[in-house]
Amino acid sequence: MNTNDSQQQQMIREAMKAIAERKPGRTKLVYDKTKRTIVAVSESDQTPRALNITADDADMFAEVTLSNRWLQERWSQITRDGKIPIRFSSWDNGDAFTQCDLGPMPAASVVEGVVILGEDAIGSTDVKVRVVLTRSEASPSDPSTFVAPDSSVHSAKGWQYVDGKRQSIAITIVDVQPALDARRATILETSVLREKSVVCFGVGTGGAHAVLELAKCGVGRIALVDPDRLSVGNVVRHPGGISQVGRLKVNVMRDLILEKNPDAQVLVRDVAITHENLEMFKLLIAEADLVICGTDNRPSKLLINKLCIEANVVGVYGGAFRRAYGGQVLRVRPKRSPCQECFVAAMPEESADVEVSSVAAADDIAYSDRPVAIEPGLSLDVLPIANMLTKLALLELLDDMPTSLSILKRDFDAPWYLWLNRPEPGTQYADFPPLSESSDEMTINRWYGIYFERDPACSACGDFVGSVAASYGINLTSEELPLLPSKE
Amino acid sequence: MWTSDQQQRLLLEHRILQQEGFSQFSVYRNQATDSYSASGTTSSNSGRRYTLYIPIPVGFPLQRPAMYLTDPLPLYAADGRRVSSFGVSHEMHTLTPLANGAVQLCHWRDNRWHSNILLQKVFLKGIIWIEAYEQHLATGLPLANFVRTMAETI
Repeated sequence: MNTNDSQQQQMIREAMKAIAERKPGRTKLVYDKTKRTIVAVSESDQTPRALNITADDADMFAEVTLSNRWLQERWSQITRDGKIPIRFSSWDNGDAFTQCDLGPMPAASVVEGVVILGEDAIGSTDVKVRVVLTRSEASPSDPSTFVAPDSSVHSAKGWQYVDGKRQSIAITIVDVQPALDARRATILETSVLREKSVVCFGVGTGGAHAVLELAKCGVGRIALVDPDRLSVGNVVRHPGGISQVGRLKVNVMRDLILEKNPDAQVLVRDVAITHENLEMFKLLIAEADLVICGTDNRPSKLLINKLCIEANVVGVYGGAFRRAYGGQVLRVRPKRSPCQECFVAAMPEESADVEVSSVAAADDIAYSDRPVAIEPGLSLDVLPIANMLTKLALLELLDDMPTSLSILKRDFDAPWYLWLNRPEPGTQYADFPPLSESSDEMTINRWYGIYFERDPACSACGDFVGSVAASYGINLTSEELPLLPSKE
Repeated sequence: MWTSDQQQRLLLEHRILQQEGFSQFSVYRNQATDSYSASGTTSSNSGRRYTLYIPIPVGFPLQRPAMYLTDPLPLYAADGRRVSSFGVSHEMHTLTPLANGAVQLCHWRDNRWHSNILLQKVFLKGIIWIEAYEQHLATGLPLANFVRTMAETI
């Protein structure tokens, strides 16, 4: 049984709102076991008035969500034509309709709708979802109220047509960006991130999670570089899902970022991170406030490291150890902290301990007579590393802006961070004491900030040629570079 | 195309080769193609002569330079097969050969290479490979038996 009793609808709506807000309301919904129906009870009545509705009537509370900004931007068209077409993702058999323009990933089922100004005079039932705006004195804070650019206030009501029958639906008009900003504002008391630009080289599991978290924090400009496509095996770790298999990872991540931060500007480049694309990378890095390197091989890390130093852009490098038994994050402040080359020189074993999570990574170290198995770690073991990488990136992007995170600068002043998920047999960490028994020894599940010095003779951030020449007693100070011997 | 940093580095590499006992090897510039290479002919302990050739990649020193044994060509293994036929082989410490059959010697893999490594060390590994190769010829045992897998070193 469906109901068109407006008082009943209003009571039910109030009761549902009270339930959603977890606070007492004037009306309540109770389930009458004997009648197998939901009963709306109004406490304001002398005698509680029960309004019998069946479970079918719950369908009337299908939710329609549409964008306040979209309506604002089309207000002149709406007033001119009296209506405007709109498309909705239809979720869960018509339980929710979300305006397609809100995000980049609509549902598999999309329905046509219309926003009508004034009375619903459209006879056709082909248009499934109708939103009718009527002038009212409703509070602008009501989620179904729309304040037009001319300051006129409109109350929105909605209907959907099911089997030719009209059913009431609840309308929520959302102002996306302010709503997102409000949820971040208690920790990130600044909108500075909206103007910040991040380039992420490598959007495998680690890089993908990092950029997604930065997008959630409100970073406004993100460039993604990765040539790979999402495979079925990736899905157990990557934010991209099985529905996206075969797509370029940069495109998958672009859409996921826009799902979280619709106003973000996302640039994608599906190219290999090699010297062949050097000029492209120089341009990207020159525009960036920060670079994230989530690649899993040394040549790309050293390449990005060199370019970041030349452009004086901070780089944050993350990586999992083999089978993700642990991982590490290196933050490079050019010429002020050790760089990737310094790290390789200072900690050769740690820098060479990498996860083999793809065919390409295995091929890099395999021989035809000594194959290397692909042994990716678990997503839950990679995520702590991605989270740490993100936090270091966030602190760099916030710079000296006073936020609730500023206090972390005292905790995160080391250049290199080590994390261990488990005491992996065959490693130097195999004999770690159990977590519960250790007070001052290293254990799993803790971050360790490790200090080491820049190498003044580093070939990337120091004076390698000068230092080596001096150590060999070679004079290279002549202004003109002498010609090397020529050979045809 | 070549930065002044790269040119300075290549000049340094050449000077070190000449000054530190590796004067059989030189860094060369091909003016016609504006490219660089390092090469030279060295003698093994048994007196046999081998030519090593390193084309300098455009990304040097960030990019790992490949090292090829270009003479004798072809190079034969103890069982009579061409060494180039082993391809990327751990037992023979070789990587992908040139199209003409010149064997690529494995010195550092890409995942171990870094730009603080001097060409002098690369040639040193080439010389070590040649000595191991002659032991392989003498015994028939895999070349890897005579060359420990290169540990990460500066």
